Amino acid sequence: MRVAFIGKGGAGKSVIVGTFCRLLARSDHSPVVAIDSDTMPGLAYSLGVPSTETMLDPDIVEEVGEEDDRTWVLREGLDPAGVVERYAVEGPDGVRLLQLGKLRGHARAIGPSFRAFRILVQRLPETGWHLVGDLPGGTRQPFSGWAGFADLVVVVAEATPSSMLAARRLARLAGTRHGPGEDRMVAIANKVDDAADGDRLQQFCGLRVIGTVPADPSVRAAERSGVALLDASPDSPAVEAVTSLLHTITAEAP
Amino acid sequence: MKIAVVGKGGSGKTTTSAILARTLARSGRSVVALDCDSNPNLGLSLGIGMDATEALVSLRDAVGDEVEHARTWDEIVLRFGADAPDGVRLAMVSKIEDPDLGCP
Repeated sequence: MRVAFIGKGGAGKSVIVGTFCRLLARSDHSPVVAIDSDTMPGLAYSLGVPSTETMLDPDIVEEVGEEDDRTWVLREGLDPAGVVERYAVEGPDGVRLLQLGKLRGHARAIGPSFRAFRILVQRLPETGWHLVGDLPGGTRQPFSGWAGFADLVVVVAEATPSSMLAARRLARLAGTRHGPGEDRMVAIANKVDDAADGDRLQQFCGLRVIGTVPADPSVRAAERSGVALLDASPDSPAVEAVTSLLHTITAEAP
Repeated sequence: MKIAVVGKGGSGKTTTSAILARTLARSGRSVVALDCDSNPNLGLSLGIGMDATEALVSLRDAVGDEVEHARTWDEIVLRFGADAPDGVRLAMVSKIEDPDLGCP
């Protein structure tokens, strides 16, 4: 499975992705790589992985091809799986966390490392791996090639005007040059406290809503204490909802 | 006075900015609220509604590539901004329409 989660900042992507990755790892023997491509990373907390300070060596990629047709690839002789093993941090349930790294100093200095990250994720083997991406909030990254690895792109949105507006913008950008395409994009409604929220979201943004996660105080409590939701409240309604989301997405993106 | 509000996604930057802008305007200052997010929602928090927020033209598009006859800041904000409650003038810096490959 190759799936990316996007949406407005604060919509609750990281908690859903962290829980999703660990439940996926428990249900399947193939390795799960959780990808945090936010320059202000936070997925580690939701996974229950100690904070990491990784940053890819830019030299893992190289530019190849003729003058007019140059493209970036993983350096010859490097095995993408080996690179992941080297740079990823293993967390609970065997989930590997691959982190873009914090934005320090001028973007020009770390740009090559970011590019290496994007290329590496794109070149990971098609089979035998589960890739689950937690992309930064907003509309920029998903359509600049960072969701390119995903077979399914899931927009996480609350049933609030700003969150639904972001979802509608994301839906409209799906068809742009480096976007995932409309047919690969679905939505889930998060922090739902009204049974009609999922329908409202679907009507507003035009994306098919494949699941809902309820407003659940145990999510806030887990975030506040810095503990993964799955460890803090394994029997919470939110974990139950992510479990059923996993079943739905497994059927959508085999 | 120039104030920039920054922080992690979902921490309340937009709401804080909107309340700051309207509070300053109520105290008699002339305020421009600048939405620098590529997913611009400041209009919602200021209270101009969804349609007006979506209808805003980004300053980046408004300025164009013209250097010689470049418009002044006042002209641009006057022409491409929108009026928000308490006399705040809202302007949006950029909005993503057709993204390029790369930048995270």
